[in-house]
Amino acid sequence: MVAGAATVVYPLVGTGYGVRALLQMFMWIALAGSWNLISGLTGYVSFGHVAFFGAGAYTAAILIIDVRWPWLAAALAGGVVACLLALLIGYPCLRLKGPYFAIAMLGLNEVLRALVSYFEGFTGGGSGLSLPTLQVTERVYYVTALTAAGVTLLTYLIVTSRFGLRLMTIREDEVAAEAMGIDTFRHKLYAFLLSAVAPGIVGGLAARDQGYIEPISVFPLVTTITMIVMVLFGGKGTVWGPVLGAIVLFVAQELVWARFPYYHQLLFGAIIVAVVLLMPRGVLGVLQQKYRLPRTI
Amino acid sequence: MVAQVVVSGILSGALYAMVALGLALIFGVMRVINVAHGPLLMLGAYTTYFLYAAFGMNPYLTLPVSMAVLFVLGMLLQHTLVHRVVDAPELSSLLLTFGISIALVNVAQLVFTSDLRAVEYLTGSWLVGPVALSKSRVVAFAVAAALTAGAFLFLRSTRLGKAIRATSQSREVAMVCGIDVRRIHLITFGLAAALAAAGGTLISVIVAIQPEMGQIWTFKSFLVIVLGGAGNYPGALLGGMLLGLVEQLASLVLTTQLSEAVAYVLLVVVLLVRPSGLLGGRQT
Repeated sequence: MVAGAATVVYPLVGTGYGVRALLQMFMWIALAGSWNLISGLTGYVSFGHVAFFGAGAYTAAILIIDVRWPWLAAALAGGVVACLLALLIGYPCLRLKGPYFAIAMLGLNEVLRALVSYFEGFTGGGSGLSLPTLQVTERVYYVTALTAAGVTLLTYLIVTSRFGLRLMTIREDEVAAEAMGIDTFRHKLYAFLLSAVAPGIVGGLAARDQGYIEPISVFPLVTTITMIVMVLFGGKGTVWGPVLGAIVLFVAQELVWARFPYYHQLLFGAIIVAVVLLMPRGVLGVLQQKYRLPRTI
Repeated sequence: MVAQVVVSGILSGALYAMVALGLALIFGVMRVINVAHGPLLMLGAYTTYFLYAAFGMNPYLTLPVSMAVLFVLGMLLQHTLVHRVVDAPELSSLLLTFGISIALVNVAQLVFTSDLRAVEYLTGSWLVGPVALSKSRVVAFAVAAALTAGAFLFLRSTRLGKAIRATSQSREVAMVCGIDVRRIHLITFGLAAALAAAGGTLISVIVAIQPEMGQIWTFKSFLVIVLGGAGNYPGALLGGMLLGLVEQLASLVLTTQLSEAVAYVLLVVVLLVRPSGLLGGRQT
């Protein structure tokens, strides 16, 4: 409640920098929460989730520039397109067990970048797209905050539902899940589709907010890496883990790591390795075990 | 024109097959997809570049050095990190090797910067009738074919090679037969890294290199394995050739920019139509 009220009031009293920083943080909460939906709950690792962010950004930018859609509708359309893209990838790759999905997602990003550069007429190619100027940072801030809250609420609803239980059964033992009569392919696919929507919307919002997009700025591998680190750190498969991870790592990034840009990714790689080996359930997972907290946290 | 495509496809196909064989070995023996395979290839390329730039070594003579360096590094990674996740769920091994790959790329960026580096050696091509053969690609083909053949011979006929194949067929039975499975895992990872390194060395003479070149090689190697059928080592050969041909054909009809997208579509189609690979089944 308090956090909600503070979020609503902040743009009225805060500085321009503060609003922008919070906007970024909500963006990361939405992205990390989305990655958690597919990878945290089903155990199928998505190495290319930034692809949906990029797809959303390009969809929104093209709609705003060429069709003159209002930015909010364009951002929502970004979510729809990201979802369709997920269907296209998920349908062939999630039918199979094993690493197929992970590697397909690893390549997806490169491919989209190549496609964007190829269809220059639409996308501006390597020189990017400039959106008409519009001062809407505050409104974008509110929509981003809503998206972040929506993803977290959705995660809570899923984790407490039968659907969520089935997803977690797939994660723990897919063969057993199948033997129990769960249509694993469908469940995985639904989780994946849901996980693509918010990144698409956030991508559209980011395009509007930054006013300029290019292939390198909306398809960076480091965005996927950051999502993964945030979720792993906070606790994968939990409701509040991605939120916690996003806040802690975003603040740490702003305060400390910005001064050591060259070691940034090295640190992320080390965190991933360390969490996988030493603390596979993340901070929240450890707390859950220690203090017998409910699973729905 | 068609002859050119076929020849170019086969030339790069051997390289794909060799690099993919490394990934296939680790997957076959440990059931781990090593996401850091491409970045290991990148380190092999930089080893060659470093020896060439600092000591003026002939890049092809650096091949044994880069293979040896990466063999040791591979064993080190297996010994310190990867062996802990061999029996863990797939999520752990994928994420762990992903973390390793990020760290390796970043270390390369710190040491060598992100600038493109080129090993300028053996440029130009031979003309055979209507077909232009890039010299560095021909050498790469020959070396890759020889190394791949050597690896197959090793797997087929030596005691160690047989132990590796036995472990990949059934770890428990291999253990019962007195095979030190941990040691086999170490050697397998070392071998796979050395094969990647050989790929890196050969590629560094063909195109300019940079720290982020590796990731796409993990993807392509995986595609080659899928084409050939996972766990089927000779399948990698077929898969490599096929990927090389398709890419060359695509760059003829479309542009080279899109060749990666074509490889991707190929993966999706194979997963839809024939997920067990073209040769199907496991036969190691």
